[in-house]
Amino acid sequence: MGRYAAKRIGFALITVLVAITLNFVLFRALPGDAVSALRCKACTAAFRAAQRHDLGLDRPLVTQYGLYLKGIASGDLGSSLRTEAPVRGAIWEAIKNTVPMVTLGTVFSIVFGIIAGVISAWRRGTFVDKITQQTALAFYSMPTQWLALLIVLFVAGAVGLPTSGLADPSIDILGDASTWSILVDRFQHMVLPSLTLGLVLYGDYSLIVRSAMLETLGEDYVLTARAKGLSSWRIVWRHGLRNALLPIVTLVALSLGFVIGGTYTIEFIFSYPGIGYATVEAIDQRDYPILQGIFLLVTFSVIGFNLIADLLYPKLDPRVVSS
Amino acid sequence: MRRVLVVLGVAVTCTVLTACGGGSATTPTTSSGSTSPGPVAVKEGGILRIGTGNYIDSFNPWNWIESQSGMAMYEIYPALVQYDHDFKFVPDWAQTWETSADGLTWTFHLQSGGQWSDGKPLTADDAAWTINTSVKYKDDATANAAVNVGHVVSAAAPDANTLVITYDKPSATVLGGLGEMPILPRHVWEPLDTDGKGSGLKKYRPELHMPMVTAGAFTIAKYEKKGTTVFKADPNFYGPKAHAQAVALTFYTNPNAMIADLKAGKLDYLDQVPFKAVKAVSAMPNVTVDKSAGAEFTDVTWNSNPKKKKHRELLDPAVKKALAMGIDRQRIIDVVFEGNASLVDSVVGHVAGYFENTNLVPTRFDIAAGNAALDGLGYTRGADGSRVVPASATEAAHPMAYDVMIPTSLDYDGDRTFQIIKDGWAQMGVKVTQVSGGDSTAGYAYETGDNCDATKGTGYEKFDIALWDWVPYPDPDQQLSYMTKAQWCSWNDTGYDNPAYDALYDQQSTTIDRTARKVIVDQMQQMLFDAQIYTVIANEVALSAHSNAWVGIDQKVDAYSKTYLAAPHEA
Amino acid sequence: MKRRGPVLQAVLGEWQSRIGLAILFVTLIAAVFGQLLEPYGIDQQVGGTLDPPSSAHWLGTDGGGVDLVTLLIAGARVSLIVGFAGAAVAMVIGGLVGVLSGFFGGKTDAALMRVTDYFLVLPDVPLLIIVAAIWGRSLQNIVLIIGLIYWTSTARLIRAQVKSVRERVYVRRAQALGASNTRLIFRHIVPQIAPLLIANTVLMVAQAIFLETFITFLGLGDPSAISWGKLIENSFKDDAVLNGAWWAVVPPGLAVTIVILACTLVGQSMEDALNPRLRVGHLSVRRFRVRPALRERDGA
Repeated sequence: MGRYAAKRIGFALITVLVAITLNFVLFRALPGDAVSALRCKACTAAFRAAQRHDLGLDRPLVTQYGLYLKGIASGDLGSSLRTEAPVRGAIWEAIKNTVPMVTLGTVFSIVFGIIAGVISAWRRGTFVDKITQQTALAFYSMPTQWLALLIVLFVAGAVGLPTSGLADPSIDILGDASTWSILVDRFQHMVLPSLTLGLVLYGDYSLIVRSAMLETLGEDYVLTARAKGLSSWRIVWRHGLRNALLPIVTLVALSLGFVIGGTYTIEFIFSYPGIGYATVEAIDQRDYPILQGIFLLVTFSVIGFNLIADLLYPKLDPRVVSS
Repeated sequence: MRRVLVVLGVAVTCTVLTACGGGSATTPTTSSGSTSPGPVAVKEGGILRIGTGNYIDSFNPWNWIESQSGMAMYEIYPALVQYDHDFKFVPDWAQTWETSADGLTWTFHLQSGGQWSDGKPLTADDAAWTINTSVKYKDDATANAAVNVGHVVSAAAPDANTLVITYDKPSATVLGGLGEMPILPRHVWEPLDTDGKGSGLKKYRPELHMPMVTAGAFTIAKYEKKGTTVFKADPNFYGPKAHAQAVALTFYTNPNAMIADLKAGKLDYLDQVPFKAVKAVSAMPNVTVDKSAGAEFTDVTWNSNPKKKKHRELLDPAVKKALAMGIDRQRIIDVVFEGNASLVDSVVGHVAGYFENTNLVPTRFDIAAGNAALDGLGYTRGADGSRVVPASATEAAHPMAYDVMIPTSLDYDGDRTFQIIKDGWAQMGVKVTQVSGGDSTAGYAYETGDNCDATKGTGYEKFDIALWDWVPYPDPDQQLSYMTKAQWCSWNDTGYDNPAYDALYDQQSTTIDRTARKVIVDQMQQMLFDAQIYTVIANEVALSAHSNAWVGIDQKVDAYSKTYLAAPHEA
Repeated sequence: MKRRGPVLQAVLGEWQSRIGLAILFVTLIAAVFGQLLEPYGIDQQVGGTLDPPSSAHWLGTDGGGVDLVTLLIAGARVSLIVGFAGAAVAMVIGGLVGVLSGFFGGKTDAALMRVTDYFLVLPDVPLLIIVAAIWGRSLQNIVLIIGLIYWTSTARLIRAQVKSVRERVYVRRAQALGASNTRLIFRHIVPQIAPLLIANTVLMVAQAIFLETFITFLGLGDPSAISWGKLIENSFKDDAVLNGAWWAVVPPGLAVTIVILACTLVGQSMEDALNPRLRVGHLSVRRFRVRPALRERDGA
């Protein structure tokens, strides 16, 4: 077990290094640099060369790579080309908004995914199962941005929830609104983007819960429990779900890293200033340092969640270590 | 200005220096177009909530791009003069002004009693420093404001309320230039200039150092670049105080959301209604859509750098005129602007009014004539129907196929405009491919190129065609300066380099007589039109919408006058 | 009577996959004969902007006054081309890596799988953004990007399959008889794994179509190609939602959903028939991507 864990951690560390290096190489390959976007009458060739020198862009790639690694090690991700503000702060601003929204959406999808998956597995082959599965598949098949547009078009008006931004622009303009009303307002703005994300994830989760449940329900001990005369309700919840929960948790953990990256279109449509929105904007502005920072963040979170899942595997299935 | 602004030019209504010299000492007007409040007692207080698709990118007058920044700086910093609804100059900080007989010395008498938001007094010394600094680094760090201080030798403050500016030539653009020049607090900014090159000034981001030091009708209580910026009325303002207690300006990327918020009563005013949304907004109860002649026009921008190496056929005005015949401008107006635009041919736009050269012979949409013209030029069609440019001394034979750069920051549908142009040109055997240019800054970088260097004459080599827009000022000076070599690698986005044009530009800026100036300005417009530096497409109608709960909002003075945010009040 | 293979039987035996096949068939017809079916030109302005459905224009017009039925059919063509070509690229790269890795084993396997693992863990969205920014916005590049992102799961699936096929008696016998590696791979291994590869490709087509709509929506798609993704993007840009023009919003997304659903149903039943282990193989998921990755599993 110890050897297995060490191996997985080692792999994760190497992957981090590969990702960091790739990040360096990829962005150096992009057209233009911090200096080429400068626009001024005095932007002579000599001036540009001086600017490049100041930014270290004229040094050998190896030296730049060393500086880049040093920067990352000290948590310095550079500065935005546009605002000249530190990338770290800009990303923190965005992630701060994304995390609650994603959390709400994920909770929504887990709860409904588990309920639907369990019912579907329990009532396997019935009409209910078929409907649940087909619905899940349908949500799975919908382009996220389209689902978001449909929600704006058909749902938002009916339920009277805001479709844009983080907060009501007219609340707290003078800084006199109560904390409670600000929180409620924030929550209301989160509902629809979270719902979109939740529905998208719901399809995946319910299908997975269903298979995990089916697998568990096929095990011998479930048969034993049944033979003991336990009610099927009890079997499903006590034995089935409990044992199916671990793989579900693992899968959710695994998917979380990608959820962060998967909010791009949702945040864009709902003008929700999170990490996805920041990315789309940085693409538009060719603000490479910001993109680079986001790329690193998402990669790290994916690697991190992968590692967690890897370390959890043996607990689920001891065979993983031996193989 | 590109979706943006900057400064403006000249005294539209000044025919004689002395006529401008004596600004009235009365308080600035709060004229606000058709919705003028009249003599009824004005209701004070309330929060004016504005929705916009254009954000404030900076509060540094020497380093900004987006037009919303120009508006914001106008509201929070003092300016010497401002425009009224009819684009006449009226007092802002300067109450009266006079000019010496030779036209080289301008003296401004400033309103006393102003103070910066940090409690320091606002004096003529701040204005002198701001102007002198803009002059000092005009070729580099403060180039953004160079046009505002054209021909200025120096500024001096003999006393706290008097500002004297000396010019090296009589200038027709004094008030226009100074009117759009925000005055900065010297005690905050001067210490930033540490390297003697002004780079500390250019880099400074006042918004990162809250509370910002301001002395306008408003202070900034909160700034979120892509969120809500709150302007709070400044009780110490030297001029007429704002009626609203505060103005909240919220940026939206998604017009649907903005309009939903207007409908839900969470916004009182949209500074620009998206063209596709006019129908929906007009249908709302308690909301009025205001239409006024807009300043912005859209254009096809041609790389006009005489030294460009590739696709030199596009330097030939005859080729560009033939291609212009393939542009169905009326269809663009109908589809892209839902009819809210008009045909325009001159690069000064309809906003120039008197100074627009209306004698330019418009290019008609006529595919057959365009085809005939290209046939006549010897660009015959190949086997696949696409035209081929025959080999020349510098270039091999090549098909007429070009990239068209379109920035993503347009306020109209560039993709759709491109489709219509592409459709027309395809019928002429010319193939175009759309290239996304990113936002304004990235778009400029694409046009000027990595190696742009005015002294060496390099740059402007990579691009052929761009689809963009300009938002000119009422006075054509600024707009006409964009095509000069002096603006190379700066506002010049075509690489046009014509000494004869540059000479005319200098001549018009020092021609005080309005009629004489118009002759020159007309000649310049004709020159640009003949060379087809730009093929101008459509002049937008400015569309804004306000809730009927507010009166006195005058979209027309946006960024030209403090009354824009100060005059509106609750109904 | 000819005996049906297990795959065909599975596909034709279930009503879901029969529906899926029917949908794919209809879409293919629309895509192939599209130009004959399109009532108007894709650049042709036939009415006002965002006109509601009428007898002349069954789905109304878009923000440019172009007939939406025409655009939808034209979109089918581009979306399917991107879907199939992207899946094909993924299949070729992934198949090659999988076969080499599984067949040769040892160091080749270790090296190739290490590379695959790195690619698996890299978040694809930022990756595709960067690649699109470097390569530019064209259909070919989108196809390549899709292939680059999706080859990894194919590689793992095929590798596992090749490993098991390789150990079969007849392959070993052929090897003992002196058959060259090339011959072994092409005569014995590839035919065995082909059905699974095809099933995987069908699933991949769905993912590729999905990814195309995503890339396009991010503004990184081919600006001049009319795909379903582009139509969804256009409806957003044209403020169709604001104008209540559901006819511009709903059809393209619905088309994508239905085709993805069809591919998933067909692909799933094929894969299930071929590889019964997958039915219960949920614990073996090494990488689960929220989207569009329901079916991403390696068989390792």
